[in-house]
Amino acid sequence: MVGPIYIIAISLGTAFSLGFFKKANRNISFGLMFFAMAFVTFISGQWLYAFLSHQQETIQIFTAGFKPPFSISLQMGFHEAVFLTMINVLGLLSAIYLFDHLKEKGANMMMVFMLLFMGLNVVVMTRDIFNLFVFLEISSITLVGLIILEKKQDAISSGFKYLIASGIISQILLIGIIAAYYYGGSLFINDMVDSNLLFVKGGSVAVFLILIAVVLELKPFPANGWALDVYQSATPGIGAIVSGAVATTSLFILYKLLPIGGDAWLLPIGITGVISFLGSNFLGINQKNANRILGYSSIGQVGLLMIIMSLSKDLGDKFEFVFFSILISHYLAKAGLFWISGIINKDEIGQWNIIKNKPGLIVLTGVFMLTLLGLPPFPSFYGKWELIMNLAHSGNFTWIAIILLGSFFEAIYLLRWFGKTLMNNENSEELIVKFHKIFPAVISSFLILMFSFLTARWSGLMSVKYFIPFAIALLLFALDFLPVFIKNIMAIATVSWYSYVLIYQTYIPENDILRIIFGFIFLIGAILLLFPGFTFKGKRRGFYPLVILMFSGLAGLIEARTTFQFFFAWEMMTLASYLLIIRGKNAKKTSFSYILFSMAGAFMMFIGFGLAYFETGSISLNALADVLIYANWVYILVAVGFLVKIASLGVHIWLPDSYTEADDDVTPMISSILVKSGVFGLIILMLSMSLKNAASSNIPYILGWIGALSALIGNMLAIYQEDVKKLVAYSSIGIMGYILFGLSMMSHLGWLTAISYSIVHFLYKALLFLAVAGIIYRTKTRNIYEMGGLIKRMPLSFISVLIGIITLAGMPPLVGFAGKWMFYNAVILKGWYFQGAIVFFSGIVAFLYCFKLIHNIFLGPIKDNHRKLKETSVWWLIPQFVLIIGIMIISVYPKIILEPIGLYLSMYFPGEGLVWAGTTASTSLGYWDATQIMMVFAGMFGVIFIILFLMSRKVQVVEQFNIVFQAERPERPETTHYAHNMYAPYNKALGFLAAPFITNSWEFIYESFHAIGDQIRKFYTGNGQTYALHIVMYVVAFYLFINGGF
Amino acid sequence: MMEKLNIQNIGLTVGILVILVGLWGLLTQKNLIKIVIGFALFDTGTHILMVSIGYIKYRTAPILDEAVDIRNAAKLVVDPIPQALVLTAIVIGLGITALMLSYVLKMYQNKKSLEINNYKDLKW
Repeated sequence: MVGPIYIIAISLGTAFSLGFFKKANRNISFGLMFFAMAFVTFISGQWLYAFLSHQQETIQIFTAGFKPPFSISLQMGFHEAVFLTMINVLGLLSAIYLFDHLKEKGANMMMVFMLLFMGLNVVVMTRDIFNLFVFLEISSITLVGLIILEKKQDAISSGFKYLIASGIISQILLIGIIAAYYYGGSLFINDMVDSNLLFVKGGSVAVFLILIAVVLELKPFPANGWALDVYQSATPGIGAIVSGAVATTSLFILYKLLPIGGDAWLLPIGITGVISFLGSNFLGINQKNANRILGYSSIGQVGLLMIIMSLSKDLGDKFEFVFFSILISHYLAKAGLFWISGIINKDEIGQWNIIKNKPGLIVLTGVFMLTLLGLPPFPSFYGKWELIMNLAHSGNFTWIAIILLGSFFEAIYLLRWFGKTLMNNENSEELIVKFHKIFPAVISSFLILMFSFLTARWSGLMSVKYFIPFAIALLLFALDFLPVFIKNIMAIATVSWYSYVLIYQTYIPENDILRIIFGFIFLIGAILLLFPGFTFKGKRRGFYPLVILMFSGLAGLIEARTTFQFFFAWEMMTLASYLLIIRGKNAKKTSFSYILFSMAGAFMMFIGFGLAYFETGSISLNALADVLIYANWVYILVAVGFLVKIASLGVHIWLPDSYTEADDDVTPMISSILVKSGVFGLIILMLSMSLKNAASSNIPYILGWIGALSALIGNMLAIYQEDVKKLVAYSSIGIMGYILFGLSMMSHLGWLTAISYSIVHFLYKALLFLAVAGIIYRTKTRNIYEMGGLIKRMPLSFISVLIGIITLAGMPPLVGFAGKWMFYNAVILKGWYFQGAIVFFSGIVAFLYCFKLIHNIFLGPIKDNHRKLKETSVWWLIPQFVLIIGIMIISVYPKIILEPIGLYLSMYFPGEGLVWAGTTASTSLGYWDATQIMMVFAGMFGVIFIILFLMSRKVQVVEQFNIVFQAERPERPETTHYAHNMYAPYNKALGFLAAPFITNSWEFIYESFHAIGDQIRKFYTGNGQTYALHIVMYVVAFYLFINGGF
Repeated sequence: MMEKLNIQNIGLTVGILVILVGLWGLLTQKNLIKIVIGFALFDTGTHILMVSIGYIKYRTAPILDEAVDIRNAAKLVVDPIPQALVLTAIVIGLGITALMLSYVLKMYQNKKSLEINNYKDLKW
């Protein structure tokens, strides 16, 4: 193997020899530099390989033939090898990225560039603290030298600020080093650790000065204005180096020197990390400049890693996993984002939509941002999971709350930014992407994917089968050039195969009713709802991989047996659905609120799972039943995550717009299938926590109230909507309220209602949204008052909507009535009369919007421009009629679903439930026979139909324009129509219930955050001297804190 | 009193005083050149400090003669490195000062101002 000393030799040698090439061709000098750096990377990579593949021992290299402290020694161990490889790979990629700049400036700049990376390498390897100082200085001097690559005035003044600040820091370090020598007698770091400097008189000052300088090198909030300005103004290639290589090296210095301070220093470092992590991410929310945001995020991240370092004792043998998975994913992602920022070359994140037409760039940006957010399948997800779980295990819930809060702040600005990159772009400015600029980002994203796989395997939490969906998604992504038609077939085939394996081969033999039902909703539903995809023209780039990810996330939920698998699937499904919603034309804003609510909910769930792990020591989902002491907490925290998904009152504000603005075939998917994930989660949660566990008995009562109020408000809001998709969307809130109410009754009948209603809701909600989408597909409008009289043009859609609303309204003879009947039985048996009355009332409200749907779309006179409309496409109709058949079958024979569910439930609620005799179901309150009702109904319907048909011969048809407007032509004729603002009188009476005070209060919270952040960040005055003062004050404050002055 | 007035304490005091003067200049002067001078003073103060405390009490110079037994020389002599490294520190200080001055030059060329308050375009 090539010794690490050659890293220095080769770098220095090449750097000096570059001097001879000043006059020569610059390509040659660049080639020379690149070759040398590649070789250095090879050396470090080879050591890393040695440490990973076999038991390579850590080696010490003594220079000049003496042992330390009389000579400088270098160390090469596993950690050194990891950090060196990271730094050198980044150096190589940066060299490619900065090719233009370096070539323009010539051999001198290349020399500086090489020396920067050599400096960082030595800083990592050296075990002599003075040597560390020297090479740290070399790195900062070369770095500031590189800042001049950008000729702008801002870059130069920020370089000056950087010099002042790093000058002060290095003087502090120098004084610390000499004091340490004076008190400890050695500059060899191992000796310094052994000599317990803290206990020597005066030694603590030396330790303080050294460590505070290292902390300041990490640019802690708030003493970091100088670094932020550099991030903002330097060319993004330098930003990548500062964030990826310099910050990483600084972290390693802290890691190396922290033992000098011993355990006493762990907490202060942790607190410094907390301030940085929370502070930077909070202020990041207010930023608009892309590079500055990246700077804030970078500093926040370093804060998180400091926290992790300080908690190393609690993390035990998971420390390395957590630290490296988070560090490496951030290092790759941040560098990648800086590079993309350089390609886009726009300051404001609002201008990033220039990449709207560059799918490759969008995917790269997405990968990097989601990696930063720690969403699956990216490596930081596993790191965060282990971090939180291990902290939970040792009961560190304050730390958990802090970490998740900071992550949430980070999520706010990263996701808002991501939304902005997808904004519509009127500006036709063409973006030129040079190969050498995009290449490093592509490599970096590949490394992320590779590392995702490695961490997943390393974590031991994932079996290989979890990668199948990702593999399929990647395959579909690779085949994205194919037309929609083929890709749609592929997607349907994939989901069909998946449902065959899962439902037919697994759950049916196991007779696991709950999983069969939800497998059916999630997967068979998916197949049906993929059919309308055939109507789309072109390529629909990126759609199919996301659909596959979303549905496999849903399937993952029912497959999950541990809280990890559940959380993984949950996050994957959330992420994919967010990306699907955001594809809608005007869905940027609403998808932002969807993902924020979802993430907040997921974090709560995360804490809940952590708390359960703390008490039971197991991550099995079944272990939730054993939680006793913290049962209420776990229950509430986990439930909040599910309530967000089913859009219960209070956390519902994301739903209406998200449903409305999503693509027309995505809306049925999320409204009828995706929401059921929340229902499924609640069922799992209640099965283990309410039934088997008596400790948390009050919560269902509260949930019942939330359910009842959601039902009322959801339905109330639905009736006033003029946008037909929004109307159906609001009704979803109401129906989900019913289901929640049913579940929280905690009785056999309540659950029977809720579970069967989940199926029914899936059927009719998909039916309604498909029908509505099919109509919108033809009429090109969503405003309900612009429709009307479509019954003759679209009779099949009319039948769909009719069946849909009859089921929704719970009128006999369709299965909705079965739900209602069981529901009232359940309410009466339970004795929840007041809540029951509210739900009953909201059922009546539902009639109003059901009528609106059928009347305003299909009845009355037809609009002029709709006279030539055709029935909607067959691809919209096929799934509708499959759904209608489904509804009809279970309307006639509800027994086929109710009996197995009842059997399943009697395991949990024995001795209650429906008693079946033939097709008749009875409870202690009465009986009901769906088949009979259906026959009676069909008979009556037939009679009335015949009578009407006979009468219709006498009817005189009044044509639409057989009306006289008395010579007056209204400005907008449709507004005079009955259908416009249909329920205004009700609005007058009960409109206060529909006032958007919940939306307003959430917005108020969001605005307040902004306002506070806006005030706080004013202390970054922009004056280099103020920044220097911040540093001095930080040192003083830190000293007082350490010595108990505060 | 006179015992305290040895070369070490004088060096220490002077060093700290120069550091404080330098820091004061760095933090209060508005002229870029004066700020750089402040930094240079800070730097020099550190060097004086290093020279005055960069040794270990009761040990001797690293010269192997009859005063120093070669077998336990490591325990008797002061490591000469810290003293020698003051030179390195001086060189580095020089480098940084030079770089600062070249930055000042660049800034002046662009904006024709040496007032630090005029360079606040980046903030918040």
